[in-house]
Amino acid sequence: MISNERGIRRIVIAGLLLAITLLLVFTRIGMIPMPTPAANATIAHIPAIIGGILEGPIVGLLIGMGFGFASFMSATIPMFKDPIVAILPRLMIGVTASWVFILLRAATRRTLSIMIGILCVLMLTFSYQTYQTIAWLGIVVAIVAVGATAWLYWWMRRTDVQIVGLSMAAAVGSLTNTVLVLSAAVWRDYIPFEAAWGIGLTHGIPEAVVSAIVTVAIVSALRHIGEGWSDSQL
Amino acid sequence: MASYEALRHVTIGRYIPGDTPIHRLDPRAKLFAFATLIGLVLVATSYASSVLLLGLVLSCVLMAQLPIGYLLSNIRPALPAIAILSLLQLLFYRAEPGAPLLLAWGKLHISFVAVRVVIVSLIRFLVLTFLISLLTNTTTTSSLTNGLESLLRPLSRLGLPGHEIALVGAVALRFVPILGEELESIAKAQDARSVDDRIGGRWQFVHNARRVAALIVPLFVDAYRRAEEMILAMRARCYHGGEGRTHLVTLTFSSRDYVALGLMGLSIILVLTVQQLSLP
Repeated sequence: MISNERGIRRIVIAGLLLAITLLLVFTRIGMIPMPTPAANATIAHIPAIIGGILEGPIVGLLIGMGFGFASFMSATIPMFKDPIVAILPRLMIGVTASWVFILLRAATRRTLSIMIGILCVLMLTFSYQTYQTIAWLGIVVAIVAVGATAWLYWWMRRTDVQIVGLSMAAAVGSLTNTVLVLSAAVWRDYIPFEAAWGIGLTHGIPEAVVSAIVTVAIVSALRHIGEGWSDSQL
Repeated sequence: MASYEALRHVTIGRYIPGDTPIHRLDPRAKLFAFATLIGLVLVATSYASSVLLLGLVLSCVLMAQLPIGYLLSNIRPALPAIAILSLLQLLFYRAEPGAPLLLAWGKLHISFVAVRVVIVSLIRFLVLTFLISLLTNTTTTSSLTNGLESLLRPLSRLGLPGHEIALVGAVALRFVPILGEELESIAKAQDARSVDDRIGGRWQFVHNARRVAALIVPLFVDAYRRAEEMILAMRARCYHGGEGRTHLVTLTFSSRDYVALGLMGLSIILVLTVQQLSLP
């Protein structure tokens, strides 16, 4: 039941972003070659992230559901022919992206620095826990955590706050996809736990970086933030 | 460049016209049966129940006169990936300690449970591939969205917007070929401007992401422009949601659909019984 313009807007924009998702899934144009065992990163989840950022969590959820159905329908390996792996985790992509964007929208550089600090502490705690069970993995996670924090801080100092929020939302949306899909796959016995870790680290992080780059480019174009955007339609 | 030509021919489960009992079923009956069977596939974990399900679905495929070779054709390129994943699953499956082993060679342990998990997941994959083809190859997209809307209607009492969800699906399916054509023109326009569209090596993934952005960003801008036009058009026509809306084609349940649903119920009971029996 809709009675206002906002309802119509949600339906139409969800429909069009879903059309882009279907196009990306079924034509394989959204495959980016990567230096990882899984070979390709996908950008087919980006419409769900953008729907979440621009129109709110409900639109993000709808597009994520459509993405899940599309990847379930077009799956060529047994893992993605399971709706619990293909559809359920995808619902959350747009939702988490939307939440992170809302959270960071009002942030200043100071609050961002504090958040990065907290993130670093959390990751180091996690790496210590991992160190106690699998030693080498704990060391790798700790190095990645420190490196990532340093890079994030350096990058945040020299980037527009709005773009930082957008990139973080996109990266979190993309990581939601990776983490939830892999957890579901492990839970349903499609891949062993250690392999999931490997795929998560080598595949999830580059995919998050790619999503952040592409999402910032798209949202800047749609909102005309940043400089150097003309009104060309092609 | 020629690869762009294919973009407008996106087919999502191409409709294969026919006049079989499966083609003539009401889309609501088909959707309901489809959803139930998917649930059943997830529950079936023994050899006997999954083979039984495969048999049931195969007989429906034969009844709908769908070419099986065509249904399997899009799996063929993925065969190496399927083989590698199955092998990983076989080698690293964690059976409970003390489970009977099929093979124990040095550090390599393969239990009977692991073999069953792999074979059952391969059968499940086949069943789901056939099921999806059964639904999408025998039903037109318009009757699918109509059926979906009418199935979701009772949920609107619970606050779930059934009409709106179906409309989102219909808008998306309508716009896929239009945006595909648009993507084709964008690709040609960027080529004409000598935008660097070479796919770089695997390590240059930032470069590759920028290359894809050169195609995707204009596509999103175009989609948003079309969306604004459509919002204006819908407001101009006083669109007010699903309440009190009538349809050109009204769906009716015939005796054929009740028979199909009855058979469906019987097969659910059969599969669940076989699953409960302590067959391997």
